[in-house]
Amino acid sequence: MTQKFKTRRTGDLTRRSILKGAAGTTALAAGSSLLAMPAIAQARSIKIGSYGGYFEDSFKKFVYPAFTEATGITVESVTQPNSSDWLVTMQQAAASGTVPADVSLYGKDTMIKATRIGEMLKPLDASKIPGVTNLDAEFLYEGPDGLVGVGSMAWFNAMVINPNEVTPAPTSWKEFWENPAYEGSLGISKKIDGRLLDITAKTFFDGAETLMTEDGIVAVLDKVAELKPHVALWWSAESQMEQAMKNEDVIGGSYYLDVANIMASDGFPIKPLFPVEGNPIGYGSWCLSPLSEKTGEAYEFMAFSSDPATQALMSRNIGTAPLVNRELTDLTDEEFAFVSGSPIITPAYESYLDNETFIKERWDAMLAGA
Amino acid sequence: MSDLATASYLAQADNGSRLNKTLRPPFDAVRRFGARSIIMTTIAAVLLFVFLSPILLVVAVSFGEKIEGASWVWAFDPSNYARVFVGIGWPDEITLLYAYKLGYTLAYAVLGSLIAIAFAFPFTYFLSQCSRPVQAAWLVFILASLSMSEVFIVMGWDIMLSNRSGLPALFKATGVTEWLKETGWLAVLKDWGLANPRNVKFKTSQLATVLTMAYLVWPYAVILLYAPLSRIDRSMIEAARTMGAGSFTVMRTVIVPVVRIPVMGTLLLLFVYLLGAYVTVTYFAEPAHQTLPVSIYEAIRGATLNAPFGAAQAVVLLTTAGVFIFASLWLSRLAENRGR
Repeated sequence: MTQKFKTRRTGDLTRRSILKGAAGTTALAAGSSLLAMPAIAQARSIKIGSYGGYFEDSFKKFVYPAFTEATGITVESVTQPNSSDWLVTMQQAAASGTVPADVSLYGKDTMIKATRIGEMLKPLDASKIPGVTNLDAEFLYEGPDGLVGVGSMAWFNAMVINPNEVTPAPTSWKEFWENPAYEGSLGISKKIDGRLLDITAKTFFDGAETLMTEDGIVAVLDKVAELKPHVALWWSAESQMEQAMKNEDVIGGSYYLDVANIMASDGFPIKPLFPVEGNPIGYGSWCLSPLSEKTGEAYEFMAFSSDPATQALMSRNIGTAPLVNRELTDLTDEEFAFVSGSPIITPAYESYLDNETFIKERWDAMLAGA
Repeated sequence: MSDLATASYLAQADNGSRLNKTLRPPFDAVRRFGARSIIMTTIAAVLLFVFLSPILLVVAVSFGEKIEGASWVWAFDPSNYARVFVGIGWPDEITLLYAYKLGYTLAYAVLGSLIAIAFAFPFTYFLSQCSRPVQAAWLVFILASLSMSEVFIVMGWDIMLSNRSGLPALFKATGVTEWLKETGWLAVLKDWGLANPRNVKFKTSQLATVLTMAYLVWPYAVILLYAPLSRIDRSMIEAARTMGAGSFTVMRTVIVPVVRIPVMGTLLLLFVYLLGAYVTVTYFAEPAHQTLPVSIYEAIRGATLNAPFGAAQAVVLLTTAGVFIFASLWLSRLAENRGR
């Protein structure tokens, strides 16, 4: 079941997911064109990208039909492997004058990267997107030319443990460093943007601020190095961590909250926790291609996506956290606890970009002990 | 083949002489160079283009310039190569990070192919002495096993080494884990990175990485060694035996000298194949012991979008592999000449 998440943030595009995506898109296109036939010339449509696999399937099954029902605009779903690879695809497409997707789903770092590359994102007129004020201001990303990204949904990299092996449950990330029971027993993301730097900075230093300088980065990396003897698996694909938790090769670590919850409800020994320092949050944003001729449709979709009802719909069916105030939604306590929690660790996005090569090499050198 | 070509050439030339003058230039060329050489040149050009252009593209990209926080641009920036050898902090400090990665790449490939041949050689030797139907059955089985991709093989080994389904589970069920704990051996294994406080663990470890790599290329080793080993003249072995040579002496003085060149060739082929192993390394080697191909992939596809640095690493890996292969060929030729 959780296999479906695999392509979402890791970029591990499997052949099956491509085939599935392609088949799904074709079927959807065929279906929508049949449905659209009686509507004669008036039919409006838009191409929207999202991370393939379970994620995109849920959009096609729950979100897009509701949008079409509300607005009459049909959606052609486009499979993105992930955020940063899709940026490369869009860059190449822009050079050749094509628009693979009108609206793309980008992570915040990719969005910043796109504004730095330039002419990748079309500035948006917030006054034409009615529901957008529902979102917290931090989820509306402004580039040099104004608003370019409207938040769509959030996800957490949560602390997870095997509740059968770890008692009592840890209350702080510090325990992963200090408790000898974790020796050779943790699963941690190997990627520099796997958020361990942000967790370490928040737990032992002044948080994101510490990561803004090279000295701060080096200090945080030294602290991360102390965790190495406790890490059995530095995972690079989500499925690796999934298997390691199922097989009890690891008894804790950091993992996506949504996947962990789904695994737990499938009966596997995994329990996501919110320690005192919190868990890092990540979120996706809808961005419009400058070459798109569907600005009106895109505004309508962004308005629809920002609607509290849609946010709740996504939380229930995709497992992502809403970007609107919880009170605006009809999510129950239980439903909300399933997709969110507090406190929140905000990643030091700017630093990852400004010090990109430095962080990457120091991170690798730290892992290699070189 | 050559008769056919000559015939077609003559036919073309004959046609050419009869056709009117407007058609002359191309047929002139045909007459001058010959149809055959034109076809051959075209094929050679296409092959050169198909094989060389991707490599030339990688070389060109490797000189590109990375824009921090964005993508990269075409440039002539040799600093990517400097980074491969001495790291980003040069000249203030030197990091041998990528040199280590290159070292692990070569070490895994050499060890993996040596282990594969060590197991494949005796197996294939005895296989070549079996009856025809037995040989055929084994070869079909081994050929079929080649269709398994690296991903499946790694998945299988992953299960075999897993805590709940594999060897560690067996250790636990049979009481070996308890015994290791009581005798203090578990602590020793923990120091070697082969245990956690609860049980033995074989992932991640260099042992698992090298063994999986050996397993990966073992079928190739058998198939490559099968032909030379089954061609060995049995009468030579029998002659040696009747003259009183033991099994070891026969192996040393008759079999090994006959097949040493194919064995060397097999070794080189497996070595080159294993240089590019990716899935095995990402699954079974901890980041401290990972290889250049993993680093290349991360540079190009990872969040940094640093294709130029990935390309520079690829060029260094390619060059190193080339040097190794030429050196082995040169050494084996040297050994051959000395043997005469």
